[in-house]
Amino acid sequence: MVKKVLANGESCKKCADVERRLKQDNHWSKLDEIVIAKENDPNSDGMQIAKHHGIDVAPFFIVEENGKVELYTLYFKFVNEVLKGHPSKTETNLEILENNPDLDLL
Amino acid sequence: MEPRKTTGQRSPQQLLRDTISQYAEGDLSISFSGAEDVILIDMVAQMGLTVDIFTLDTGRLHPETYEFIEQVRSHYGFSIDLLMPTPSDVAKLVKEKGLYSFYKDGHGECCSIRKIEPLKTKLESLDAWITGQRKDQSVTRTNLTQVQEDKAFSTENHKITKYNPLADWSLSQVWQYIRENNVPYNKLHDNGYVSIGCEPCTRPITPNQHERAGRWWWEEQTQRECGLHAQNVIKIVS
Repeated sequence: MVKKVLANGESCKKCADVERRLKQDNHWSKLDEIVIAKENDPNSDGMQIAKHHGIDVAPFFIVEENGKVELYTLYFKFVNEVLKGHPSKTETNLEILENNPDLDLL
Repeated sequence: MEPRKTTGQRSPQQLLRDTISQYAEGDLSISFSGAEDVILIDMVAQMGLTVDIFTLDTGRLHPETYEFIEQVRSHYGFSIDLLMPTPSDVAKLVKEKGLYSFYKDGHGECCSIRKIEPLKTKLESLDAWITGQRKDQSVTRTNLTQVQEDKAFSTENHKITKYNPLADWSLSQVWQYIRENNVPYNKLHDNGYVSIGCEPCTRPITPNQHERAGRWWWEEQTQRECGLHAQNVIKIVS
């Protein structure tokens, strides 16, 4: 998991929320490594990895299996496809909203 | 059903007429927000057409908005389907996080329960819907077109088309139409409210503020987005 840390040292809001969900659902220990993308340090490992893969959002997940690398920028998709959890109806709808921000103005 | 093709820009009235004529009753509906998108209903009425109308009743709307919905119903003689959230979902949220969790956790979870789920359920029964969305409402709507496949809710087996007749209209054009046609409007607009949503998440704005500033003002744009901005990444490790 690559997560973003703000200039003030705190995790970004979304990263913190994802981390909380992972721990709450007992998925946190399944992650091999947490890499930090420091907002104010383009040379930080997370920033370099993001640049390398062309990712511009955080958090994101890198899954390597049999030499094949898959990238996940959608948390619930990652949970469902990789961690085999079952996102709730509300979680699925929240992701729809996050990916279609114009919907909240309805 | 594949999205209907559009041949150039049409007036909102022409698009409404064309669209309504293309769908069987029950396959198409207008989404009415209880705000200035009432002009879509007015246009339909002025053309002597009828169409199904729904509104998302989140349970947290202003009293003025409920009064306005009722006013529109009686003024035009159209029935309006009020879509409400699943009671058990709301009860669970309120029990776990209280009535104002959105001020702390952001509005997404509450909107997902009170708006997205009822909307998704409704759209499962439709082939198309009509919205009052406009490009100038938000930076997230700058790519809005008059006709588009609704990628948020379409599935592999059920394609949904979204029609946005007012996509290219400005807010001032909307209000010009309302005044020239004596269209009833939500009284909150007289008190500085521009974009109207749920009561706890809506506030009046000043004349120089963008209408988006009247919604979820406690959420900074930088908090809503969590980007790894390109300008921050200047060197690649080879």
